[in-house]
Amino acid sequence: MMNNLTRWVRLALRLTLLHGSIALAAETPRQLIVRATLAADAATQRAALAELMGQADTAIAPLLEAWRTDALFIFTTPEGIKIPVLISGEKTAAGTATASRLTDGLPLTDAQGNPLVLTVADLAPVEHNASLRRAMKAVLDLADLAATEPEKRIKAISTIGLTQDVEKLPAFRARLKIETDGAVNRALREAIALAQLKNPLPAAQLAALNELQALRSLASTDFLKRALKEFEEAKDPTLAAAARAALAAVDEHRASVDFFGTLFRGLSLGSILLVAALGLAITFGLMRVINMAHGEMIAVGAYTTYLVQAMFGSGLTIPCFGFSLPIFGLNLTGPAYQAYFIAALPCSFLAAALVGIALERSVIRFLYRRPLESLLATWGVSLVMQQGLRLMFGANNVQVASPTYLSGNWLINDVILGWNRVFVIGFAIVIVFGMGLVLTKTSLGLLIRASMQNPTMAACMGVRTPRVNMLTFGLGSGLAGLAGAFLSQIGNVGPSLGQGYIIDSFMVVVVGGVGSIGGTILSAFGIGGIDQVLQQYLPYVAPGLNWVPGIGGFLQNLAQDAAVFGKILVLAGIILFLQWKPAGLFPTRSRSLED
Amino acid sequence: MKTKVSQILSLGALALSANFGTAQAADATVKVGVLHSLSGTMAISETSLRDILLFTFDEINAQGGVLGKKIEPVIVDGASNWPLFAEKAKQLLEQDKVAVTFGCWTSVSRKSVLPVYEKNNGLLFYPVQYEGEEESQNVAYTAEAVNQQATPAVDYYLAEGKKKFYLLGSDYVYPQTTNLVLLEYLLSKGVKLENIGGGFRKDDSGKIISAGKYTPFGHTDYQQIVAEIKQFAASGNACVISTLNGDTNVPFFKEYAASGLTAETCPVVSFSISEDEFRGLPAKQLVGQLGCWTYFQSINTPANKKFVAGFQAWLKKTSVPGVVKEGRVTCSPMVLSYVGVYLWKAAVEKAGSFEIDKVRAAYKSGLSFDGPAGKVTTQKNMHVTKNVFIGETKADGQFKIVKSFENVYGEPWLKGKF
Repeated sequence: MMNNLTRWVRLALRLTLLHGSIALAAETPRQLIVRATLAADAATQRAALAELMGQADTAIAPLLEAWRTDALFIFTTPEGIKIPVLISGEKTAAGTATASRLTDGLPLTDAQGNPLVLTVADLAPVEHNASLRRAMKAVLDLADLAATEPEKRIKAISTIGLTQDVEKLPAFRARLKIETDGAVNRALREAIALAQLKNPLPAAQLAALNELQALRSLASTDFLKRALKEFEEAKDPTLAAAARAALAAVDEHRASVDFFGTLFRGLSLGSILLVAALGLAITFGLMRVINMAHGEMIAVGAYTTYLVQAMFGSGLTIPCFGFSLPIFGLNLTGPAYQAYFIAALPCSFLAAALVGIALERSVIRFLYRRPLESLLATWGVSLVMQQGLRLMFGANNVQVASPTYLSGNWLINDVILGWNRVFVIGFAIVIVFGMGLVLTKTSLGLLIRASMQNPTMAACMGVRTPRVNMLTFGLGSGLAGLAGAFLSQIGNVGPSLGQGYIIDSFMVVVVGGVGSIGGTILSAFGIGGIDQVLQQYLPYVAPGLNWVPGIGGFLQNLAQDAAVFGKILVLAGIILFLQWKPAGLFPTRSRSLED
Repeated sequence: MKTKVSQILSLGALALSANFGTAQAADATVKVGVLHSLSGTMAISETSLRDILLFTFDEINAQGGVLGKKIEPVIVDGASNWPLFAEKAKQLLEQDKVAVTFGCWTSVSRKSVLPVYEKNNGLLFYPVQYEGEEESQNVAYTAEAVNQQATPAVDYYLAEGKKKFYLLGSDYVYPQTTNLVLLEYLLSKGVKLENIGGGFRKDDSGKIISAGKYTPFGHTDYQQIVAEIKQFAASGNACVISTLNGDTNVPFFKEYAASGLTAETCPVVSFSISEDEFRGLPAKQLVGQLGCWTYFQSINTPANKKFVAGFQAWLKKTSVPGVVKEGRVTCSPMVLSYVGVYLWKAAVEKAGSFEIDKVRAAYKSGLSFDGPAGKVTTQKNMHVTKNVFIGETKADGQFKIVKSFENVYGEPWLKGKF
């Protein structure tokens, strides 16, 4: 009897199990998503989503998209049954809307068949976190395999490729046959090769290794290392040798990526130094005013960019010495708003130039023959300006958003070229040429050069030197303002923004040779380049520093902190260089006795 | 000359006696010290704590004070100057004779006042995440210990399937110590040394003495570091643990976004960005990145809603000079300051006295307070047990809570524990 009973129970169990597995196999994508939304823990949710992978149902993408954007909700009936719904209709003013059931996409109705109107605020939204969104992305990725934009396809392929999922191989191979874009083709080959590393057949593995060697794919590094270890443990000399060769090819590629990347980063840092120092090359280099307020001119430019951004957006009210000063906003959106940065460039030049001219008229013109006094006076001005900015805009940093056309990047042969960096480099070239033209080809330039070289003689020839001085100082300050507009795209905008650049600016001008614009350019790129080279390669040198007696270990550790140690080395190098050439790279020759 | 000196001396005596006079007269109040930087670099962060403390005192005074005495705050300015912190602490303890002090933000300011509190047997409540390796009888650490912030974040990452960890921080004691503890923790969880990025520094015997990449305060050029992270993350399953402080986060995250790294490919968890710091950061570039604290303003409980509403109402009507009224948020250090005051109140009430030794004994006995982020319980080791939350940053500067750990014990001694 007892025996019989257990047999029955067992049979019943087996039947329900069988039934369950049938139900699982027959679950439609919609049902799977319903199951995922109702599941209590993230792991079950992820598992349910994983089953959606590769299914070609048009319902999947919009539902997952709705989930990601918080448009899926759980509606609980009065009986306590939970029904996941998608808010379908427009929300009314009272916050109510009609909804459709996730199970079949039909409108949610009451017992009489009339559409139910739900109050959205009362519903529980279906939660999601980063890992779930990643799982959803994996599902959508395969759908993205057929996307029209190549970037989307590449992203989808690389993401799946890193999972080494053998089940995706047929989809990839099918795509490879019809793919025409070169970069996508490469990504597909890489993804297939990575997945094939998991293939138990040695021939397939060997082919995959050779493919990765030919592709020199950076993404495969970790997988190759792991594979190499496995092959060595399995004592498989051919596969191990192939893996080693593939790794060597990847490493060689990485070295070249590092090299060109360093070159680019050096150029970009050099451009930033140059843009920041160019104004000083005029005010200090040509006019010999030790202008400690140069950094604050940069800050004026950066804050002007912030103001222009606010004017293109929704406006701003700034407390200004007890009064509040409303700045009206144009309330632009989209590309028109994004164009704020273009408008900000001339504005920041003008704003800083005007501040510079005011400074020249009120303080500096009385101090032309007295460099030490001008140092102290401009330092005082810089403190006053910092505090002024703090009073007007607050001690906190302000946010300057990057326009979309400055926030992407190009990936050329695995070297990242950020658009903001490319723009800074291009911009540095443009203003250097622009300034060269102004100084050599215009009558103002002629007057500037004459007044700077020999003010007395220029005055005798009828040049209004005080006016030329004023304009020259304005030009230098305006260039600093332009630098501020650019630096707002790269770093902080705060009251003490200028302090971070003043030392670097003086360093660049002094190393280049005071009075020589060409020297300033060369020294900016030299300092930027050397700094980046040291940052990149010092950690590689570090292990070899052990031989230095006494301080070997210390140096080794210091070299790990390349960002700091690099800067120290650059400074030390500059000190030595100035011992050797006190007048900088290109000393200006002059017949006057004081030089 | 002699007369002048004696004049000054007698004047000083007069001032002292006047001081005593007021102390006697104001018997119905208890003096409480507030020791934060109200000027200098740290002022941006620390003034928020001064504000929340004043709000808490007003709230408690409205309910009848502590042991029937109204709280009378004595506010001093540490001015972001560490030796000055010690001087001000001395003034609070020896001159003002405060019953308790709430204060300090940076670890170096805490280390600088510590000898003063130990010598005078004072009591300091310290509310800001710190590196541990300290357990003074004169400091009540309501702050997050490393195992209440850093290790839960690692647990979260491991559960998300992350296998490679890049450590990045500002170069001072908190990131250095935290990363060393994290290194031990990661190794104990089976993460291989070659999968921990940022570099290592070793002593002569080859023992690792420092892990991770460090940049100085005010560093602006993150190109090379981001390029390194990009290569580190190329094979997938990588994440970044950042203890970068203050405004260096701006150039870092701008560079990070420009290089094409996103929260979905390689997330960054930052231990030093709370709602308050967020106000000066480019929100768009941070969306989806993680934070880990024992409080988020977005916690959806009646207690928290009441706390936030109460603080906002206080801000509107307060007449304290220098309080910024617009755009204010609440964040973890603020809540831990708030909780600290209430825990002190509970300890005093249990001890029935303001005497430091009795208050400490009561504090150690395991008092509880239901704060905005749930229950907080004091421990024998002067730290507190509390809930830990992991949140994803949103474009509006708030966090969406993705994971919570209940009742995490505060453990300051973690080196060699894993």
